[in-house]
Amino acid sequence: MSNAAMQGTYLGEGSGLRAWLLTTDHKRVAWLYLVSLTAFFFLGGAMAVLMRIELATPAGDLVSDDVYNRLFSLHGIIMVWFFLVPSIPATMGNFLLPLMIGARDLAFPRLNLASWYVFIFGSLFALFAVAAGGVDTGWTFYTPLSTLYANGFVSTAAFGVFIVGFSTIMTGINFIVSVHTLRAPGLTWFRLPIFVWTLYATSLVMVLATPVLAASLILIVLERVFGIGIFNPDLGGDPLLFQHLFWFYSHPAVYIMILPGMGVVSEVLPCFSRRPLFGYKAVAMSSMAIAVFGFLVWGHHMFVSGQSAYAGVVFSFLSFCVAIPSAIKVFNWSLTLRKGEISFETPMLYALFFLALFTFGGLAGLFLAALAVDVHVHDTYFVIAHFHYIMVGGMVTAYMAGLHFWWPKLTGRMYSEIAGRIAATVTFVGFNLTFFPQYVLGFDGMPRRYHTYPPEFQFWNVLSSGGAVVLAIGYLMPLFYLGWSLFRGARAPDNPWNATGLEWQTSSPPPPHNFETMPIVTRPAYAYDMKGLEHERFSPHREEAAR
Amino acid sequence: MSELRKLTFGYLGLLALLALTVASSFLDLGGFNVALNLAIAAAKAVLIALLFMHLTGTLPRLAVAAAGLWLVILFGLTLIGR
Amino acid sequence: MSGTESIAFDTPQRERRADNFAMWVFIGSEAMLFGAIFLVFLVAHIDFGPAFAAASKHLSLPLGTFNTAVLITSSFTMALAHRFTLQRRWHATVWALAATSALGVCFLVVKGIEYGKEISEGLAPVLDLPFRYAGPDPVHAQLFFGLYFAMTSLHALHLIGGIVVIAGMIALWRRCSPANRLRRVVAVGLYWHFVDVIWVFMFPVLYLINR
Repeated sequence: MSNAAMQGTYLGEGSGLRAWLLTTDHKRVAWLYLVSLTAFFFLGGAMAVLMRIELATPAGDLVSDDVYNRLFSLHGIIMVWFFLVPSIPATMGNFLLPLMIGARDLAFPRLNLASWYVFIFGSLFALFAVAAGGVDTGWTFYTPLSTLYANGFVSTAAFGVFIVGFSTIMTGINFIVSVHTLRAPGLTWFRLPIFVWTLYATSLVMVLATPVLAASLILIVLERVFGIGIFNPDLGGDPLLFQHLFWFYSHPAVYIMILPGMGVVSEVLPCFSRRPLFGYKAVAMSSMAIAVFGFLVWGHHMFVSGQSAYAGVVFSFLSFCVAIPSAIKVFNWSLTLRKGEISFETPMLYALFFLALFTFGGLAGLFLAALAVDVHVHDTYFVIAHFHYIMVGGMVTAYMAGLHFWWPKLTGRMYSEIAGRIAATVTFVGFNLTFFPQYVLGFDGMPRRYHTYPPEFQFWNVLSSGGAVVLAIGYLMPLFYLGWSLFRGARAPDNPWNATGLEWQTSSPPPPHNFETMPIVTRPAYAYDMKGLEHERFSPHREEAAR
Repeated sequence: MSELRKLTFGYLGLLALLALTVASSFLDLGGFNVALNLAIAAAKAVLIALLFMHLTGTLPRLAVAAAGLWLVILFGLTLIGR
Repeated sequence: MSGTESIAFDTPQRERRADNFAMWVFIGSEAMLFGAIFLVFLVAHIDFGPAFAAASKHLSLPLGTFNTAVLITSSFTMALAHRFTLQRRWHATVWALAATSALGVCFLVVKGIEYGKEISEGLAPVLDLPFRYAGPDPVHAQLFFGLYFAMTSLHALHLIGGIVVIAGMIALWRRCSPANRLRRVVAVGLYWHFVDVIWVFMFPVLYLINR
């Protein structure tokens, strides 16, 4: 990438390994994260593919039950903590937050780089746990299984997750402080792009929830390594209390994962329908509402774990409430499209698929929030399908939308639009083929976390496994055409999508300190109805012809 | 009052509160010993926060208020199930 | 850049404001960590009140009280260090910082003596050491001592972190510009006071259950 055309941009500031590993430029740190997270995504994905191959037949013929336990545990641990939680904030958030608020960098550039090193340090523990023989507790580390019975490398993996938590908190503090103190002149709170709002809400959750996870993991490690039996029922310790602490973090963590995805979609939909975001303030405030309400619902993971019926009713009610801000968002996105001048570029395709899949997964969440229904489908594939619709169908699709939307800004290159549209469609088809059958399986009563099943479940399982192959192709395609574009792609103009937002006002890729002259903001976000923006749309084909 | 005197009085106040909390633990106040101890600890925390940590300005207060609210959520919703 | 550490800021005033805010956000985060641990203790205390009250009497109240006074004093010297930095009395600042970390070490030594005493009395259910508890309900007393060691060692780890940072700050003192000296003293001071506040809560919760 280091050719003459990159001179004067952040990519031209030295290309050696040293220049990258010691950078404090938020745009380069974003790349460090992007590369490491991509590796983890495909590692976790490979484990999922192995599981789906195993489940293509009712018998346990590919892997033993013990190996299967380790596969789904590591798949969960890697995907949640080493991909989903940092995914959008640490890559696109890192890259874009300073650009979007008109700042030269994040408030604490060295802390930002440190967070990546801490992430890598923590991930070494997790990778060691994988290589040394794995963990078989599931990603949830439930006690007393994890403390008294599990024979895998529980302490190593838990310690790795604990370390990565520090990196999450560092990023969260950096974002919160940057949004409060570094906004450009004129950029009031209600002129911020929704992506910044969602990153702010996400950071709030990161900073306040992650330490509680850290506390519960410390107690597990103390129990396993030092023999301090805090959750040990023999001593009167309360294993359910571990679940309380774990889900106090891990339910809000779901919002750490999905909120930035909602932010990405709120950027993409207005741009490709040439309309201001409908109900801007409602969308912004609902992001904050999700961050707060998300903390009130964790008990719905414990309906059948022995918490009191009274607590169950309260948590069930509160879980219905958290659907309201999400629904507000979905309606506002839909109304943004109304009478819009819609075009279907790759980011827009991904964003529309997000809208469909998120709604579908969210509605299933209402089933699960209902106390009586949940008792029926608890720990079945219905739950698996539900959260994969949100996490993969929602979050990863939004991640891809953002990656394609801002790729020209990240790299200064365009990718093949046709390949992008094909990949988006393949992903959508493959995703539904993989996970819709799991709703059916779960409702029919197939429990999660088993490597064998009765033969009558085979039809839907084969569909699901076939879908997983399609989905894998859909995720591998961008690796190739985006990789190709990195070196051979057409030069991207500064604002290829003719979008609003400060990040598009600087060059592609941006200069080392983001802006040649520091911007002053005079307009609300998403001013797509204002004069001067109805230029001709960029067409990659025309651009390629001109080259 | 000069800054140095303020700090010194704060320090002496903290030591006095420490003496009070230890002394109170020798009295049987029924179920109120724990409550009194926690109230004294909270008073000490407020002294430290205001005099030593200079808790002023909107943003630091916002951070403290957020942490306080979330601790209430953590304790409250965990304990309703018991 | 006009005297700021991070290129993101245009004036040192704005950067100081951001530094201060970031430390408070971090403290909020740490408060959640200790809050969760306190919650675990509270739940166990609610369940096994009498056993916990009896077990608490086996901790050393004189040493615990002394240590609380030590930590409060260290907070005072830390506040003095901040005061001296604002007045640019650098010698006095270094002495106040040194006193702060020395008091921190003193706390750790006393804590070590306490641990030694508890281990020799067989009250440390850690690392398969023998647990010989004479009072009533030894099973739940073991839970109490487990929590006691977990909570106090987590606090001690935080204190060790603070001491190391202060020691590093003193070692690098000459190479540090006055503006950076102020920033560092403010940041480490906030952390130090917070660790003190945690102990202020831990002390009555562990040592003073209905004596």
